[in-house]
Amino acid sequence: MEWGPIILTFKLATVTTLVLLMISIPLGYWLAYTRTRIKPVIEALISMPLVLPPTVLGFYLLIAFSPSNFFGRFLNDVFGLQLVFSFEGLVLASIIYSLPFMVHPIQSGLSNLPPNLLEASFTLGKSKTVTLFKVLLPNIKPSLLTGIVLAFAHTIGEFGIVLMIGGNIPDKTRVASIAIYDEVEALNYGAANFYSIVLFGIAFAILLTVFLINKGVFKRFWG
Amino acid sequence: MNILKGEITEIESQGNLSLVKIQVGQTVLKSIVIETPATSNYLTRGNPVNVLFKETEVVIGKDINGHISLQNQLLCTINAIEKGKLLSKLTLEYNSEKIISIITTGAVDQLSLQKGDTVMAMVKTNEIMLST
Amino acid sequence: MIQLSLYKKLQANHGEMILDIDIQIQSGRLVAIYGESGAGKTSILRMLAGLFHPEKGKIIVNNQTWLDCSEAINLKPQKRKIGYVFQDLALFPNMSVRENLLFALDKGQKSDIVDELISIMELHKLETRSPDTLSGGQRQRVALARALVKQPDLLLLDEPLSAIDHQMRSKLQDYILEVHKKFQLTTILVSHDITEVFKLSDHIIVLENGRIQKQGSPSEVFSGKNMSGKFQFTGDILSIEKEEVVHIVSVLIGNNIVKVIVTEEEANDLSVGNKVIVASKAFNPIIRRIG
Repeated sequence: MEWGPIILTFKLATVTTLVLLMISIPLGYWLAYTRTRIKPVIEALISMPLVLPPTVLGFYLLIAFSPSNFFGRFLNDVFGLQLVFSFEGLVLASIIYSLPFMVHPIQSGLSNLPPNLLEASFTLGKSKTVTLFKVLLPNIKPSLLTGIVLAFAHTIGEFGIVLMIGGNIPDKTRVASIAIYDEVEALNYGAANFYSIVLFGIAFAILLTVFLINKGVFKRFWG
Repeated sequence: MNILKGEITEIESQGNLSLVKIQVGQTVLKSIVIETPATSNYLTRGNPVNVLFKETEVVIGKDINGHISLQNQLLCTINAIEKGKLLSKLTLEYNSEKIISIITTGAVDQLSLQKGDTVMAMVKTNEIMLST
Repeated sequence: MIQLSLYKKLQANHGEMILDIDIQIQSGRLVAIYGESGAGKTSILRMLAGLFHPEKGKIIVNNQTWLDCSEAINLKPQKRKIGYVFQDLALFPNMSVRENLLFALDKGQKSDIVDELISIMELHKLETRSPDTLSGGQRQRVALARALVKQPDLLLLDEPLSAIDHQMRSKLQDYILEVHKKFQLTTILVSHDITEVFKLSDHIIVLENGRIQKQGSPSEVFSGKNMSGKFQFTGDILSIEKEEVVHIVSVLIGNNIVKVIVTEEEANDLSVGNKVIVASKAFNPIIRRIG
């Protein structure tokens, strides 16, 4: 029994969540306030991972990242990035896969704020950036936290997409969910049980936190 | 609301009150207002004003020869009488302008007012409003 | 001097409405835009603030062009020297009262003004409170103070006192008058409340279906002329009933219903729902102490 897959899982979830946060704040802001006609198209695209089997996404990413294709070769030649069967590839796939879990709470948090908060800040001479960080985000802390926790938890629970483009390379792409599958195939139930229990406990703790936050239990720490 | 057109001929002020005299046809009407030329610029001699008074405040007199405190007296002809059970409406003509008076039907009967009669329409000084 | 000409098709409750106005406002005035809700009042304020864009129009404030659709000039809200008090006040819930005011400071601006405003608006005791814990009147004072931190040329008030009970109202009206004079502001107030408009403004613009119906001093606008009746109230007609040779008109004034006798000719000109002035000479009413 080794901790490698568990540690890798958390490393993946942490990196994915941080990058997602940086992407989703501007994206959620744009979606909350834009009046563009293509907004439904963008929203549908972001939500695709909610309905598609992870294998579909994994399959296309595998094709796209493959060094035998133009895009994969381009990444490899120009940036020296090899995304198939690598940790970087897993991060990128996880970001796409967990995007709706981060974007949706942020977008709906911003949409539910009174629109006058944004406008009041503008009339007080403040730029969009200052308004976002000083006025808007501090007022959607529960939404941000929900997004962070859900994206983190969802990344931990990934299986299909990791299997498709990550494979099963110890300390690189062998995350806990893969390890469980692997151990079961090898009839190694003890190890599978260990990983499963750890994942179960952590996932439960995380979701419990989210629901407690939504109930306002932590409001005095955050509000 | 009865409205007659007139012209301010004299203003006498004391404190916040002014007694304003207005020439309407051949008659001079008087109005007392809580305004002075200092607070209201329409109070200027020679200024055209509308004299307003409520129909129900018009007192009717017939063959008056005694003394009476009512300052505003307009000699009118009765053009029409519309009788109700309690109240009646008299349409009067003064200086080819219409004045309406609403008095009790009892008073119409008591004075035995008829269409074509000449009567004195009277309004108390404090019942007259001015407007521009 | 503020020159304002705006044209825009608006989607109103009862269909499309064209906002088409041309106004000039002298500096230092306290102007009220009065009209029913949905007449386009708030749209005018939002266009002045740069939060809403007309199809055609021009806004020139003290010789500076804020908007000129024909020249594609359109200053951002941030660049317009305005203080805007929103109808819902839009205080930032994540900041204390004092932080709300400090946030409004321009870069490099001294915070003296914040202390001054806190003292004018009597907010000392509330400085560290969160806006959520304040009463309507207190929130109103904070919003007004915050709008003045930048020391704007133009103060825009959108139905500033609509959410406040009557007693608090007159106090807040005094605050508005005080800062208007003290900071030599040009103030534009939007309201559908005649008494508020009467008390605060020195010039009234009556807006009806997106167009200016009339404008002038409060007494000019609301009595149509100068009337020397001092006993004067505005109200809404509730009913008109014929009674023999007269009509009895019931008028709602504040919370009271008064009845006025009018002649047939006058009654023909009135209908239920009309806004009217009820006036009498000051000599007639009697006063009796009741408490």
